[in-house]
Amino acid sequence: MIRSSVDRQPWGAILAFLLPAFTVYTAFTAYPVLRTFWNSFHKVLPRSEEFVGAENYAALAQDELFWRAVRNTFTWACVSPLAEVGIGLVLAMALYARVPGMRFFRIAWFTPVLMSYVVVGIIWVWIYNYDWGAANALLRALGLGALVQAWIGDPKLALPSLIFITTWMWSGFNMVVLLAALHSLPSEVVEAAELDNCGWGAKLWYVIVPLIKPTLLNLLVLSFIGKMKIFDLVWITTKGGPLWSTETVSTYVYKRAFEWTSFDLGYPSTIAAVWFVIVLSAVLTLTWLFRTRERLEY
Amino acid sequence: MGMLKHVLLAAALAFSVNASAQVKLTMWSHWAAEKIKRDYVEDAIKRFEAANPGVKIEAQWYEKTALYAALKTALRAGTAPDLFYAEPDQVEYMENGLLLDLSAVNWAAIEPWAKEIWSYKGKPYGMPLEAATVELYYNKKLLTDLGIKVPANLQLDAQGLTDLAKRARAKNITPMSLGVGDRPYPGAYLVHEALLKKLGLQEYDALLKGKLSWSDARVVETLRVVRSWTDAGLLPTTFTTLKLGEAHGYFHTNPGAVTMLVGSWYTSRAFNPPDKGGQPANFPLGIMKFPAMPGAACNECRTLSVGGSYVANAATKHPKQAIAFLNSFANPEAATRWLEGVLVQTGIKADYSKVSGPHAGYFRELGATSAGAKFYFGQPIQVMQGKPKEVFTQVFNNAFPAGTISVEEAVKQMNAAYGKH
Amino acid sequence: MRRALLLAVLTLFTAFAAGPFLWVATMSVRTTTEISLDHYAWPEKWHWEKFPAAWFNSAYNVYFENSLLVVLGAVAVLTVVGAMAAHCFARYRFRANRLLYFVIFSAIIFPPQITIISLFQILVQYQLYNSLIGLTLVYIAVQLPLTVYILESFFARIPSDLFDAARIDGYSEWQIFWKVSLPIAAPALATTVILNTILLWNEFLYAVVLITDEAKRTLPLGIQRFMGDQLEDVGMIATGLMIAIVPVVLIYAFFSEKLIQGMTAGAVK
Repeated sequence: MIRSSVDRQPWGAILAFLLPAFTVYTAFTAYPVLRTFWNSFHKVLPRSEEFVGAENYAALAQDELFWRAVRNTFTWACVSPLAEVGIGLVLAMALYARVPGMRFFRIAWFTPVLMSYVVVGIIWVWIYNYDWGAANALLRALGLGALVQAWIGDPKLALPSLIFITTWMWSGFNMVVLLAALHSLPSEVVEAAELDNCGWGAKLWYVIVPLIKPTLLNLLVLSFIGKMKIFDLVWITTKGGPLWSTETVSTYVYKRAFEWTSFDLGYPSTIAAVWFVIVLSAVLTLTWLFRTRERLEY
Repeated sequence: MGMLKHVLLAAALAFSVNASAQVKLTMWSHWAAEKIKRDYVEDAIKRFEAANPGVKIEAQWYEKTALYAALKTALRAGTAPDLFYAEPDQVEYMENGLLLDLSAVNWAAIEPWAKEIWSYKGKPYGMPLEAATVELYYNKKLLTDLGIKVPANLQLDAQGLTDLAKRARAKNITPMSLGVGDRPYPGAYLVHEALLKKLGLQEYDALLKGKLSWSDARVVETLRVVRSWTDAGLLPTTFTTLKLGEAHGYFHTNPGAVTMLVGSWYTSRAFNPPDKGGQPANFPLGIMKFPAMPGAACNECRTLSVGGSYVANAATKHPKQAIAFLNSFANPEAATRWLEGVLVQTGIKADYSKVSGPHAGYFRELGATSAGAKFYFGQPIQVMQGKPKEVFTQVFNNAFPAGTISVEEAVKQMNAAYGKH
Repeated sequence: MRRALLLAVLTLFTAFAAGPFLWVATMSVRTTTEISLDHYAWPEKWHWEKFPAAWFNSAYNVYFENSLLVVLGAVAVLTVVGAMAAHCFARYRFRANRLLYFVIFSAIIFPPQITIISLFQILVQYQLYNSLIGLTLVYIAVQLPLTVYILESFFARIPSDLFDAARIDGYSEWQIFWKVSLPIAAPALATTVILNTILLWNEFLYAVVLITDEAKRTLPLGIQRFMGDQLEDVGMIATGLMIAIVPVVLIYAFFSEKLIQGMTAGAVK
């Protein structure tokens, strides 16, 4: 990184540049984080706050609903990136040959990503509708009527159905990014490995993947983080049901804070605090696993 | 004597209200989509404003889930309205001292069990406007088409309902319209009404409060009966996503079901004009009792719960006027207007024989299903709290009627929720 | 042969990705009754009047305005504040530089739950709860880390001779920022503006917790309101969805090159 070499640092200017950002950051990010940790040791009611020590944490350890939510969220965060990036990669390879109308296609594939999760959720609730939704309609039209399901009504199928939705959303994004990555590689290498009749799988794995590894890892981590945070989609489609099969930590925190018959904000804060530590550890572990000689930024 | 006291109290309150300058009270209420209830409350507001010049009440109408969300945060933020809609299962309001003590209201005009439901630590906090039973509405024509006759005591037996289900399915008609897409209690009706009959008032109470194990033989038998109903195809395929408003239309308009198991507040949507979601004119509506359970302790037991009520914010700047408004409901005339206009029971003492008007016939039919009944006051989700309530809702409102968990699994989950094994 | 296969894959995936969107578009100009007869028919009669109906009768104009105010306000402040901080991190060497940068940048991975409960308490305390200003401030904080990250790596790539030349010409630090850094960083700025606009336009969680007043709802909340309980009005919801989607798609269609460049530059190494 190129830096200017000035002997005396213009501290006044540095402060002026950083002050606004850090004011906002401290007030609306740093302080709330600390306050959440503080809450987690208290029972926080509308008119009083009572110190309860580690009681909330002890209760959390026993809370099966919480651990169920953690399992669901982790499943999502591990499966989704592999699916999204995998499909994106295969498609990017297939489309490496410049195709007419690329610009139009790129816009079309990006559309899912541009839509708010609220919009996506509503559309997919309709698609998954048992009676007239596109999913079952398609199956029936193909003569596979025996396979129709209550996609988001069945506890066993609800989570996979939601994972399918996020895969739909992000595959296009990943494909566009990977295509750009492929185009930035020296062309002889890629042409040699283009889809053809013999062993393109091996060519893909041994030649292309190592070359775009940093990009792939970036996308995987981005996707992982995104799924650990997911709320909107679940809230609009299943709200964590049926039978907690799609309950994620974010929906559980929201429910405990704003929907259970209790005004206590201490316990949900405890959940948030523990989750914060879990997410940070997971991301740090991933970063360490994926460390390359280049500094990895996501 | 009681009448005199009532008049004096009302007069005293009216005078004290008149003494103040222009006062504005805000009110948030459910029932945005239920015209006849809304009309009733707006009429009550007009009457109160006419009797109390200087007081204005500004009502905002919400749909229930949006209302609860808004209230939850507004109460914490201190921006909640002076008056709002609440139901007695919301004990968290009382636990946190957020409601105004309503002892000054004329409780002599209110049914004692309704006051009891709204009491916390000996003090009353809500005006119990709406009370409801769980009723089995049915389409008279479809039932006759299926060759089924309702017995004289208006109660089929368990096998009779299975039979109804099978016959309806044979003709590709959904036997019962029921949906849990946006409410946490309709699916559970099947289970708790059955359990109440099988166990009787005291044992049922013990069950809900965690004193009786869910592995009890009678409980398991009852669940198996309910399972046999759902296995016979009783419920719609869209049961888990069908919303309450949609379930009404499903029953009386499109595609049409034989029966609908719903609170007696069915009328507040069904008697809207047809283009606003109401039932078609001349719809052959019938009402019968929930089926009798085999070997039951009390087949005449049924649930009576207080539903929509109004409460006052403890932090209101105009407590006198707020209490005065709530008190304006506490008299038999208001009760009769409610009965005639909304056609649902009420927690206010009323002379049901005085009900007249175009729907008096409906009201008598409704009365017939409660003749000789013994009441359990409160729905399970009003009686349970915390973890058992959450598990009960997920298991018995959604999963069990939908057929996605077994009887054994359901019993296990409920026992675990209470910390039993 | 391969070409045909390629085309097939392309068409299938495009149908898969854009299909649902097209379906909603067709439903947005049909009435609910027409839709319940056949959910997949092409519109016979194009009911364009549904759009004004949704806009005025269902308060969509209110939601749209609120979203516009909050998002534009937040993005404007965010860009300036973020650029200032990014410029500082990129161009000045001082001991706390990397540490402070890391502090802001690490917030990208914070799950929203760690702040949302406290933000609720804080906004209530300072009477900013249920206010568009409160939401705007929160949005600025939420997107700040990403903005600083994107801009910092761009500012860092600017050759330092430009800065040295400017200093020799007697420019003050502020003028250097305003007249040298910003103009050159215009592509990156454009990217962050577009990215932040899209992300905040669609933001839901913070809005649903911090806004409950009907008149202050943003567009995602407004759409949710349409999911009322009486006879799910599929036709009207579809129209509402289109009102929400179309602005974003338009922005994207016009600026797609810049946006993709920006997003991929960040992710591609």
